[in-house]
Amino acid sequence: MLRVAGLTRRFGDHLALDDVTFDVVPGRMTGFVGANGAGKTTTMRIILGVLAATAGEVRWQDKPLTQDVRRDFGYMPEERGLYPKMKIRDQLVFFGRLHGLDPERAAARTEKILGRLGLAERASDVLETLSLGNQQRVQIAAALVHEPIALVLDEPFSGLDPLAVDAMADLLREEVTSEVPVLFSSHQLDLVERLCDDLVVLARGKVVAAGAVSELAAGPTSTYRLVVDGDAGWLRDVRGIQVRDVAGGTALFDVLDGAVEQKILQEALTRGQVLEFGPERVALSDIFREATR
Amino acid sequence: MKTLDKPWVLIAEREITTKLRDKTFIGSTLVMLLIVMVAVILPAILAGKGGPDKIGVIDDAGLKVVQTASVTAGGDGYEATRFSDRPAAEKAVTDGKVKAALLPDADGYVVLGKDRVDSGVEGALREAAAAVGMETNAGKAGLTPAELHAGTKVSLQLLKPGPLPDIVSDFVNIGLALVFYMTALGFGMMIAQSVVQEKESRVVEILAAAVPIRSLLWGKVLGNTVLALTQIVVIAGASLIGLLATDQADILEVVAPVAGWFVVFFVLGFVALAGLWAVAGSLATRQEDLGSTTLPGQMILMIPFFFSVFAGSSAKTVASFVPIASSMSMPGRMLTEDVPVWQPLVAIALLLAATVLIVRMGARLYERTLLQTGRRLGYREALALESK
Repeated sequence: MLRVAGLTRRFGDHLALDDVTFDVVPGRMTGFVGANGAGKTTTMRIILGVLAATAGEVRWQDKPLTQDVRRDFGYMPEERGLYPKMKIRDQLVFFGRLHGLDPERAAARTEKILGRLGLAERASDVLETLSLGNQQRVQIAAALVHEPIALVLDEPFSGLDPLAVDAMADLLREEVTSEVPVLFSSHQLDLVERLCDDLVVLARGKVVAAGAVSELAAGPTSTYRLVVDGDAGWLRDVRGIQVRDVAGGTALFDVLDGAVEQKILQEALTRGQVLEFGPERVALSDIFREATR
Repeated sequence: MKTLDKPWVLIAEREITTKLRDKTFIGSTLVMLLIVMVAVILPAILAGKGGPDKIGVIDDAGLKVVQTASVTAGGDGYEATRFSDRPAAEKAVTDGKVKAALLPDADGYVVLGKDRVDSGVEGALREAAAAVGMETNAGKAGLTPAELHAGTKVSLQLLKPGPLPDIVSDFVNIGLALVFYMTALGFGMMIAQSVVQEKESRVVEILAAAVPIRSLLWGKVLGNTVLALTQIVVIAGASLIGLLATDQADILEVVAPVAGWFVVFFVLGFVALAGLWAVAGSLATRQEDLGSTTLPGQMILMIPFFFSVFAGSSAKTVASFVPIASSMSMPGRMLTEDVPVWQPLVAIALLLAATVLIVRMGARLYERTLLQTGRRLGYREALALESK
């Protein structure tokens, strides 16, 4: 498990990270969200040792993370970059070896990943001759080529079209085994909701929410949504609930007493057609807005 | 660790293979090779070692003069070509078949040329004609040639003989300083460029995450030092072949003992500067910044270079102890003067100390500035930075 413990970072007078603590669990994708400047990239750079922490530490399997272990991590930085004038095959083999693979293994892994990304026939091309989308694919290949023991991806999907995002997400699922913790930051919340198991929300350098996406999305109270073909105004007189909003046949209410929602459904059915009924899932964007406000 | 690959070895390897595939690098090396070959071979050709000059004659007396001139010149300087009469010899001169013709005249000989006669040829023939004539005259007067020449021999004795003649010394001094200057500057700029390219393309972030930043520096310094030494060895090899091919092998006897010293001075000086050039690259954020960040490096090279070329001999002696300047002037001094062995040893010790110092400071600056991609930094500013 990768643990970020009490990370604090100052840039002069500016407190960029303030006691940031969270876990990235193996085999689960952890989404890392927050407004611009919240400290996501700073956190990731400290995890990778590119930046030093003012206080706190990064731990790996309950021990402080060392340079040797970190060599086996995979990293895709926010600012993309590979060697523009190097052939992509040479480039991936180089990064594989830099991360500790022997030459044969690095070559084999390179061929496999390039094939998987549909870039096999471009292997001898110089990177800068590829389209931006393909360069992005090579970038993610560079993070995966050495079979990393942990992955840190800073905005891995930015700038990709939906099809490319799907292809990349598939690749991640295929390449990332159950022992590998994955942390990835994104501002595309729908994507995070779709791909991630856990979520860490950062605001102004502090963790404001963390946990499984399913739990966070369920919300703290049980909110239900009812849509009928008539008027739903009668809900205002029902006991045991708190109506949030009624507009024509659509109502949103919080259940205060257990099981009262079943009675409401029965009542609604006797009054007419029920078009929709169920617990209201809170969109991630609402959690995000709520948490970072 | 999955394997034994040291990161700095990989970085050095990439540095070397990238350069070897770079057409500009290969091209400039070939041009340099060509220039050196021409410089080695051309003097030999100009000195007339390209075979004997043909001189036309029409009688036995002329033949004897040309043979005498040839013997004086070392055996194969001139070759006589016999013609039947004066018009035939004139035609051969006009057609360029012979360099000149030596014809009998009322009171001796006349040297016949087309539009001009080489002063060397003229002098040699004049001297030979005089010698032959005098011997003939001496015979008539009853003297043997030995009696004739008694007491006229002049020999040369030097009180402080140097290994090489003066003019050659100057060339060797400037040449060796130039080799170091050009190589250190050329490869220095390449190191700075390679660093700033990694910053510009942002690949440095991935590199720094994978391996310690010091490994990046060491890899670059090692890779480029190997390349620079290889380039010099290739060029030295080419000039060696050139010297052997043109019968100038005697120069080698003088150069060979100093070659080892040159390598030591070269490597130490080069490594010290390489650290500095890498810092110049890491202070910059774009290629355009290199002009200003490499200025100190250029000065450190340029000032000692002009000093070692133009300074007087006692100033040169001082310069040959100053680190970096010593890389340019000590090997040259050792070639052209008698330098006691303690002098290069002291110079190397000083250079070594300076190299360690410069490289250590360079590594510190490099670590602090490599990941600063925002804007160009100054040296003073970089020294004040905290690490990471």
